[in-house]
Amino acid sequence: MIDEGRPLFVQIAESVEDSIVDGSLGDDDRAPSTNELAAFYRINPATAAKGVNMLVDKGILVKRRGIGMFVAPGARAALLAERREVFGARFVQPLLDEARALGLSPEDLVTLVRERADVPAPAPSPASAPATTPMEGLER
Amino acid sequence: MSRTLNVVRMQLANRETFVWVPLLILGSAFAISMIIWGILSSAGVTVNMYGGGAQAPLWYFVAVGVQALTLTFPFSQALSVTRREFFVGTMLTAALTSAILAAIFVVGGLIELATGGWGIGGYFFALDWLWTSGPLMAGLFFFMLTMTVFSLGFWAATIYKRWGALRLTAILVAISLVLLGAVWVITATRSWGSVMEVIVGSGVSGLTGVLTVLTVLLAGGAALALRRATV
Amino acid sequence: MTVIEVQHLTKRYKDTLALDDVSVSFEKDTIYGLLGRNGAGKTTLMSILTAQNFGTSGSARVFGEDPYENARVLSRICFVRESQRYPEDALPTHAFRMASLFFPNWDQAFAEELIADFELPLKTRIKKLSRGQLSAVGVIIGLASRAEITFFDEPYLGLDAVARQLFYDRLLADYAEHPRTIILSSHLIDEVANLIERVVVIDGGRILLDDETDAVRSRAATIVGDQAAVDLFVTGREVIHRENLGRVASVTVLGDLTADDRAALQASDLDVAPVSLQQLVVRLTQHAARGAAKGDPR
Repeated sequence: MIDEGRPLFVQIAESVEDSIVDGSLGDDDRAPSTNELAAFYRINPATAAKGVNMLVDKGILVKRRGIGMFVAPGARAALLAERREVFGARFVQPLLDEARALGLSPEDLVTLVRERADVPAPAPSPASAPATTPMEGLER
Repeated sequence: MSRTLNVVRMQLANRETFVWVPLLILGSAFAISMIIWGILSSAGVTVNMYGGGAQAPLWYFVAVGVQALTLTFPFSQALSVTRREFFVGTMLTAALTSAILAAIFVVGGLIELATGGWGIGGYFFALDWLWTSGPLMAGLFFFMLTMTVFSLGFWAATIYKRWGALRLTAILVAISLVLLGAVWVITATRSWGSVMEVIVGSGVSGLTGVLTVLTVLLAGGAALALRRATV
Repeated sequence: MTVIEVQHLTKRYKDTLALDDVSVSFEKDTIYGLLGRNGAGKTTLMSILTAQNFGTSGSARVFGEDPYENARVLSRICFVRESQRYPEDALPTHAFRMASLFFPNWDQAFAEELIADFELPLKTRIKKLSRGQLSAVGVIIGLASRAEITFFDEPYLGLDAVARQLFYDRLLADYAEHPRTIILSSHLIDEVANLIERVVVIDGGRILLDDETDAVRSRAATIVGDQAAVDLFVTGREVIHRENLGRVASVTVLGDLTADDRAALQASDLDVAPVSLQQLVVRLTQHAARGAAKGDPR
């Protein structure tokens, strides 16, 4: 679960963010405390605290004095937006690079994606609506 | 002060070392002596029988003194006890045990004197020459003797720990040489007569005094060596 | 707030320097990893800080004072040794009772939980305990003492992997509830890497490293790929380890990688692998040893 690559506190922050994104931690829910995180991941509480503070600075978590740490309202939406922005660079680019190395064209890629997603290919038509997704944009 | 008293409690935490084993040894020596005297008495012996069994726990006490340093001292360091607290607390514990043993010695002796040697003329505690100055002096002598042997073990172990086996041996050899030298001088000047007079003349109280000085020297030496002992 | 201050501490034994001009400080409420090879000076340093040994020159101050014969300071410290000696014929219960006499924060209930956790046989004489059980006694004393500064000198030798994990878990949990300064010496570096906030590496009596764990981890990287490309990339950088397998080279370098660096690496088709804390400490130590062998003044 914990890898060597990025600083620990960053990984802790990201895993909390993951919980928010997948819905297990909803807006206004109580976030895991520093000690809970430390015990769960078997890390030093100070490191866990650093991760939590990072999220507080980012506005994802909010501290309610006397009560504890809570997920900020709108946190999920904010995280989704952030992740969508980097989606292209983080997931699509490596996909394209690997495809290129294997000799697969972007069209091949689209076919593969469609197969996996089980979506039928649209009938080829120059008069169809302009591309609204990057996928269809690639098709051109 | 309370930490020093806690050192006493620490030494007594395992009652065996300072309480039960010495009592057990004393008890066994006493029992053995009694059995032997019982046999002799029933075989017709009517003279007073004196046994030296009361010194049995003393040998054990040398070992207690040694182990107080070799094993308990390192542990006390782990518990962050200062060397001074350890030294004073340990000597207090030794004094406590010595006092208990001395009390038993005196009471036992008084009973012996009152019952004429347990009815069979057997004397384990009330050894003639020890009791010449009375029960209190006898008790004091026994107390001091126990303290001396404890201090001897403690001192030897401290020297060993601080400076090693070689230097301890050297010191013991040096002391032996001094004693041998004294013996040689006394023999050469044919003064054994006067020396014996002095020793016998000073009696139990004199001997107790010597033991006191010896204890102070040994304990003091140990304390000084302990100051810079490392674990 | 600094609780331990060591300045230019040197410890000389005849012609060896166990500690060589060591200066380091330790803060309140932090878990430190004191790392280094056997004989590097870890135990010597900890012994001097607890007045169980004496420095030849330099100073060591705990809570601002000299710890020697200082009950005020010493009562706030606990030092669990790697091979601790216990009174003859003592039972574990005796040892714990003795500990409770001298540590003002001793928690008997906590000690009893730990005794159960480690399955310590209370009726067996300490001298008859197995190596693991003996370590457990020391660990329990160290944890239950709740001393403001607790030193653990490789306390888990003899503990199997399960027991070690138990120790780390209990340590972290108790530290979260009762923060204090804990200095843990270890050569199982990767096991403790996530527990420790700061790393102090000692080698040959000298401090090689003294930094936050996260900062240390990001301090090195291993570049893997075609030898020529790798060599080109690492020119001018401090290399602390090099391995070759055919045309592939794996080189560990010190220094942070900037965004430009990462771009350059990607362009040259080189991989970057993270360096675990253990690898980093090992490589740094070997690197320093090579430097010393070459007569480099360091």
